[in-house]
Amino acid sequence: MKFTSRHTGARHTAAVVGVLLAAGALTGCTETAAGSGGGGSAEAGACDPADVTLVGQVRNESNPYEASWLDGGDAFAEQVGLTQERLTYDGDSTRQQEQISQLLAGDTECLVMNILPNGDSDTPPIVEGAQDAGAYLVTQWNKPADLNVADYDHWLSHITYDGVESGKQIGDALAEAIGGSGGIVALQGILDTGAAKDRFAGLEESLAANPDVELLDDQTANFSRAEALEVTKTLLTKHGDDVKGIWAANDDMALGALEALQQAGRDDVAVVGIDAVPDALTAIEDGTMTATVSSDGPWQGGIGLAIGYCVATGELAVEDIAGEDRAWFAEQFLIQQDNVADFVSPVTSEDDFACGNLFSRSQGAIS
Amino acid sequence: MSLRDAGPPIALVVVFGIFAVLSPDFRTISNVQNVLDAAAVLAVVTCGISFVLMTGSIDLSAPGIMGASAITVALLVANNRNDNDLGLIGVAVAVLLAAALGCLSGLALVVLKVPSFMATLGVSAVGLGVATLLFAGVQPNITDPMLEGWAVERFLGLARLTWIAVACVLLGWLVQRYSRLGRYAFAIGGAEEVLALSGVRVAPYKVAVFTMAGAFYGLAGVLVTSQLGAGLVQAGRGYDFSAITAAVVGGTLLTGGRGGILHSAVGVLLVTVLTNGLVQVGVSPYWQGGVQGLIVVAAVAAAVIPQRRRNQVTK
Repeated sequence: MKFTSRHTGARHTAAVVGVLLAAGALTGCTETAAGSGGGGSAEAGACDPADVTLVGQVRNESNPYEASWLDGGDAFAEQVGLTQERLTYDGDSTRQQEQISQLLAGDTECLVMNILPNGDSDTPPIVEGAQDAGAYLVTQWNKPADLNVADYDHWLSHITYDGVESGKQIGDALAEAIGGSGGIVALQGILDTGAAKDRFAGLEESLAANPDVELLDDQTANFSRAEALEVTKTLLTKHGDDVKGIWAANDDMALGALEALQQAGRDDVAVVGIDAVPDALTAIEDGTMTATVSSDGPWQGGIGLAIGYCVATGELAVEDIAGEDRAWFAEQFLIQQDNVADFVSPVTSEDDFACGNLFSRSQGAIS
Repeated sequence: MSLRDAGPPIALVVVFGIFAVLSPDFRTISNVQNVLDAAAVLAVVTCGISFVLMTGSIDLSAPGIMGASAITVALLVANNRNDNDLGLIGVAVAVLLAAALGCLSGLALVVLKVPSFMATLGVSAVGLGVATLLFAGVQPNITDPMLEGWAVERFLGLARLTWIAVACVLLGWLVQRYSRLGRYAFAIGGAEEVLALSGVRVAPYKVAVFTMAGAFYGLAGVLVTSQLGAGLVQAGRGYDFSAITAAVVGGTLLTGGRGGILHSAVGVLLVTVLTNGLVQVGVSPYWQGGVQGLIVVAAVAAAVIPQRRRNQVTK
């Protein structure tokens, strides 16, 4: 809300400032490389905790996962006696850049940003902007593979998840649920996204480890519940009773598949997905769904702010962050009926955000 | 039916025949039921869009209107978010809201002279906005036995909502054939000036066409909610262009004045058979999008060669 009121009033100025900043970024690049770092580097760590501004930015709050991310940010902010500015950009890259420009045009000395870039290509301008303005930045999920976090001293860390690992985890859970042998079908995500590719590669690893599980068919349902419903119906008429399990690259598609199974009167098929959306957790509690994987949204919302806060207040120096903690895979959790209760109303733990504990969930550097 | 109207039905029979030969799974009774069930929602959306296309306008409001109606109906029938249990009244309210949004498109077109392309795009955004506000971060799942039953319970081998779609096509055909609204919709697309010169006030009929289209989208949103068991903001995603595709494949011209509900229904079946058949014969998912596009373009080209000079987007 804080943002919208400012947004309407200052939109015009922001556009102008944005252009100036972009121009600044172009010339700033060389300076940064030559000098010892951008804007606020000299006084890094000099911020009084009360002066720190915390910003969390995601696509939209109508997505339960991203809403829980911002809630986690609020929880961390409360822990240190501050409030988080909640920003959403409706999956619109231009709007995301506009919001960032506006933020960076203000007081950036003690600004901490925990950002979900819309896509890989949206990350570089955000990074350059933060570096030049001296704001502390943590990004999650998306960055181009060749953009190196260690080349910047205000881009503190990039966190993502190993899609191959999650695809394999639910593949193994599915194999176990169908007793180690039988036919399964796979519902892939949007085929040209990294997430869809990695998760499917994970399924292939799982199939290699479970030779009696046969992949009867793989189709895309574009991460969509409605498309998954239609595709699953078609696959069920095609393969009939041979289908013992359905592997879906996200929970929305898994939920669509569950509807298709219900409409076909089948209750003997195991279904797995990824993301741990609330409806999937309910389905796992009920026993209609077998497994999902959680990245722990509230933790993601808190951890990015915590890293920035610790560096801004001087409790942690950028140089002291190990190379392998600058761009890393975070731990994800396989959820099945026995542990689903722990995830239904996720809470963040203060310990997770303590400055000495920031990187405890690392599963290793992004290779 | 004249010779040049025969193109799309022939294409449908040919495509169906090819898949039936290629795949034993395709030619089963259960798969034919599946195709008809899968065509239901698209058929209802296409009913609405056909009238708009007949008048020579375009309508991109389906995703927003369907989203708003889906969330509305999910919150009004028995659900997990509140204590409402309005049943059919809830369905009626959702359809009325959708009709109101459609009316808004029509008013923007005739009163404010906004081109239909922009007006309906704007109304789609408004619909998505309403849906997002009502959504409020928690997915409404429906528990209403009637609405859930539409997707699950069968009558003569087809899901109830498939029969609802059949009824919509029939209703649309009756309106097109026997009502003044239907006849004027054709005439507006064919020669709006002539109609106006002969003393007909065109504007109210245009608004009525968009309102009726909105009501059809609203019902489609309700059907999607019944199928998915939940009200989704994205309930109508992609339906705008698939409905336009289906209508054009069936022989409804984007310039207006030609085609109609039955043409569009054939187009819907053609598109649905194509989607289903490509999966049944085992075309790789990486190829499907492209192959489907090529077949659609080829089908349209074959069907409209006699009238290709007219098949361009205008107005």
